[in-house]
Amino acid sequence: MQMLHVFRNTPHGREELLQTAQFCKTMQASPVVYIPEFTKFLLYLDNDVVQVDLDKTFLRSPGTAREHVEEIMAEMDVDNWRFFVPRHFSTPFLPDVPVGFHFMGCPHTIADLRSKAGAGYIGPRIRRILASAAFPLLLFSPVFKPFTRIAVMFGGKANAATALRLAVRLHRLSGLPISMYTAEEGRRSRKYYEKLLSKNALTGVFAQSVSDWQIFPRKEFVENLYRIPHDALVVMGAYGHGTIRQLLMGSTVEIIQAHLPNNLLIAGPHYRGLA
Amino acid sequence: MAFFSRIKQWLGRIFPQGPAGEDRLLLILFGAVVGICSGLAAVALNTSLHGMESFFGQYRYNWWSFLLPGIGAALSSIFLEKIIREGAGHGVPEVIYSVSRHGGLLRMRSTFSRLVSSSLTIGSGGSAGPEAPVVMSGSAIGANIAKAFSLNERHRIALVGCGSAGAVAGIFNAPIAGLVFTIEVIVGEWTALHIVPVAVASVSGAQISRILQGNQIPFTHLHFDVDVITTVAAAGLAVVTAGACILLTRMMRTSHQLAGKVPVPLWTRAAMGGMAVGIIGLFLPQVLGEGYHVIREMVEGSFGGGFSMVLILMLAKILATSLTLGWGGSGGIFAPCLVIGSFAGLMFHRGVDAVLPGFLSVNEGAFALLGMAGMISGMLQAPLTGIFLIVEVTGGYETILPLILVSVISSTVSHAFEPSSFYFRDLVEKGHYLRPRTDAKVLADLRVSEVLEKDCASVPKNMLLGDFLKVVQQSRRNYFPVIDENTGEFAGMIHLDDIRPYLFDNLLHDTVFLEQIMAADTETVDIDDELSDALDWMDASGAYSMPVVSNRRFVGMVSKATLLDRYRKELMLQTTE
Amino acid sequence: MQLSLEELAGCLDTHPDIVLRWIRQGRIPVKRRQDICVFNPEVLEKWAAVNHVSFTPPEKKTRPLLEEKPSGLARAIEKGGIYYDIPGETVSDVLRSAVERMESVAGRRLKDLLLEKLLDRENMMSTGIGSGAAVPHPRSPVRHEADGQPEEQMAVCFLSSPVDWQAVDNKPVFVLFIIVAPTAREHLHLLSRISYCMRDNAFRDLIAGRPDPEDLFAAVSGYDSRLDAGTA
Repeated sequence: MQMLHVFRNTPHGREELLQTAQFCKTMQASPVVYIPEFTKFLLYLDNDVVQVDLDKTFLRSPGTAREHVEEIMAEMDVDNWRFFVPRHFSTPFLPDVPVGFHFMGCPHTIADLRSKAGAGYIGPRIRRILASAAFPLLLFSPVFKPFTRIAVMFGGKANAATALRLAVRLHRLSGLPISMYTAEEGRRSRKYYEKLLSKNALTGVFAQSVSDWQIFPRKEFVENLYRIPHDALVVMGAYGHGTIRQLLMGSTVEIIQAHLPNNLLIAGPHYRGLA
Repeated sequence: MAFFSRIKQWLGRIFPQGPAGEDRLLLILFGAVVGICSGLAAVALNTSLHGMESFFGQYRYNWWSFLLPGIGAALSSIFLEKIIREGAGHGVPEVIYSVSRHGGLLRMRSTFSRLVSSSLTIGSGGSAGPEAPVVMSGSAIGANIAKAFSLNERHRIALVGCGSAGAVAGIFNAPIAGLVFTIEVIVGEWTALHIVPVAVASVSGAQISRILQGNQIPFTHLHFDVDVITTVAAAGLAVVTAGACILLTRMMRTSHQLAGKVPVPLWTRAAMGGMAVGIIGLFLPQVLGEGYHVIREMVEGSFGGGFSMVLILMLAKILATSLTLGWGGSGGIFAPCLVIGSFAGLMFHRGVDAVLPGFLSVNEGAFALLGMAGMISGMLQAPLTGIFLIVEVTGGYETILPLILVSVISSTVSHAFEPSSFYFRDLVEKGHYLRPRTDAKVLADLRVSEVLEKDCASVPKNMLLGDFLKVVQQSRRNYFPVIDENTGEFAGMIHLDDIRPYLFDNLLHDTVFLEQIMAADTETVDIDDELSDALDWMDASGAYSMPVVSNRRFVGMVSKATLLDRYRKELMLQTTE
Repeated sequence: MQLSLEELAGCLDTHPDIVLRWIRQGRIPVKRRQDICVFNPEVLEKWAAVNHVSFTPPEKKTRPLLEEKPSGLARAIEKGGIYYDIPGETVSDVLRSAVERMESVAGRRLKDLLLEKLLDRENMMSTGIGSGAAVPHPRSPVRHEADGQPEEQMAVCFLSSPVDWQAVDNKPVFVLFIIVAPTAREHLHLLSRISYCMRDNAFRDLIAGRPDPEDLFAAVSGYDSRLDAGTA
């Protein structure tokens, strides 16, 4: 398993790489570090090509970048990592980054969060990557803090199962305990979600892996986010909603992103499981 | 997304699939839609080009008019790089690259970016043509329509072709040229799956342009009396146009390399190139812009100046084109080629006429026309495109015999000096020129992970030879990866053939560790390496298999045996229609 | 019809990644919803025929012949039986009385055929492997048109008195391990196992003491499980 990390040689970038390193170490994945030479690259996904525009900070002090990466990896005691050097270019200034990775770390500028951090805004680019990528994205926290448990957001018809499957997979890889959080929407009660579990053949997995399940009303969603432990990796699914609905209410991902400082791992509808 | 997939479902119900699950009928419908859209893009470019020309035209007679192409090129570069952030290349090679490697995926922003930037470059006087931008736009329109309906790669490539065909057909009012250019240059696959929708797109693109702009033939001409002498002389002209092609290609390359060495931002570079063109334009205004009016004069036979004047103009146009495109202006090579070609034809006619007065009975306009065909064919090394394009843009079917001759000879001669055409050269150099149904394409499609053999038992490097023999007993393979048991890292390979002499020596069984007899310096391949690289290595070293190692961990083996099996399946799949 | 990606790859006898790519490229009439492949089996079958791809529809799919592990020594001996006090002075006498005693080779004609083949083999070269043991066996599987062929088995026959078998070490033979197997592979398997046992001093001592069936089974099962686990 490999995780793509786009490195920037700044203190923020260091925090991001530390998070990738810890994630990979915990999940037995190997980081693949890309030190960009251009401010943009292309991801050719299954049915979409996404151009990722980086800001100038990613090109800062290229002389020390490799050295810094090596230092951070040594500090985190991660040895199975490597650099990624793009082999194909769509145009001379536009490298292609392959998409055969199992995770991708998502710096804030890709997420376009710096400008709208307060509003809980997931950039359209992230949305598009999520919409067609087979790998989940790890959204970084501003500062590195090791997570010691997994919190899975079990809600939404299609997202719930995806998120739980991913969480269980991570649980098996890392041995970290899972707690599950569900916001009751409308008339959907605990029964409904139990049915959802059995419909997706997840009842057994749930019993084995999930240590605690908290259900709270959707109306108090934001208030109840306090229940999620500060040292948890939050796992959730994201499904493409209609544009209008998004404008009206904002997606759950955005609410969570806005209110939780935790690391956030998001799987899109094409997430294929970890082979 | 849901909206499009619902439409697709609904269409799928109306248009039944073919026996092997082909959506050909559906594809024809999509082809028409894409053709209309890209035809509209062509019309839009044409209109904005004229708008820009008249806007910049009002300053044309000021002393500082030489700045105009510089300003235009700089604006177009700023627009592309800073506003759209396109990371632009020439256009057509990007489309071919995407068709070769990524099933025709193109970015949404490419649907319009080049239209704006090229109308800035060309309208301000830069020496470039509108066809590459419009092909890029059309292809991107096709790709994005395919994306919206989640079509698969084959269909998406067909729609990319539709876009390019509709665009060329629309901009030149030349439906056959659109079809032929697309199949010959963009798609590279002459199969019904592609030809049918592309033809439909060509028709609808040309039709839209006729509805909106009228059915004009760009370069009308007088009637030519083409005789046998003309046909013979065409062979001579072909050599001249081939020479011009080679000169243009090399000038473009040199000027591009030169520009790359200038340590200034891209837009400044473009401005410098444009300014240089503007200075040439002060003396020879004929080289500015797409230059269609010049062609028109030449084809009609009303172009003044002597042999040397035309020669200078031709060289100046070549220089101006390489300055515009090589230094970062945005545009295509078609229109400059047409201009250079007609200069070359005119020059040839006047040269022959000076040496042998009265030998060529036909009007010099006919040679301008033949020169264009020779230049296009030579530059693209696509003779069919040259033939059909010229026949259609001039309506000159009576010149078809010398036209064919000049096209094929010109493209052959320039091929001898420049083995890959202007569009393909970079792609060929980087190994991205992957035509359908070729070995390179099949190999590029197969991934190392797809031919990986995982049933290899690995052995620790501190194992005794005697213990290893028991592993061999249980195994069906000849290759054994050796692992460092402490770190889990790959240490080397043991091939039974290499250690056969030790196998039957009982004394060694308890004294030799695997580490001592393994091949530690084995070449390995990574899981996301290109299969062709692995194959090259196996060929070079005579090996039949090699280990796959990722992040220093052994993953499996690739062997020629499995590869042949998969390769053959893939080849059959890609070549049966 | 719906199958998972892995199942479909199995039907097409190829790698799931390849199927995934074929779907993406539109080379195969299959649609994908996450990991589920949706297709019309008739269309797919036609496609497979046109493109020379092997396709085994899942319902018709015959279970791949499980790499049948040849059964161990213990099972073969259980089948073949253990016999004591086989009379006879010469090789052919001994073999004749042994074959007569073998219960799992039923029918006159099969017994005659087996004996004939065993004698043929002995005439070629002695099967005495030393330490007082011989492994008489037919050179080719015993088969009779009408009576079929006997199952894989090994008959352990202790002789009433040692017989000169012209063994490799010239020691007289006191025990026979008669191997009957339907295929050459199973034959070799049994042969290699018994010769492995006979190289072990403990087993040779056990055999020399003409052990009870229980003891013999226990010992042989021990070797079996060790060899199966690959730890021996």
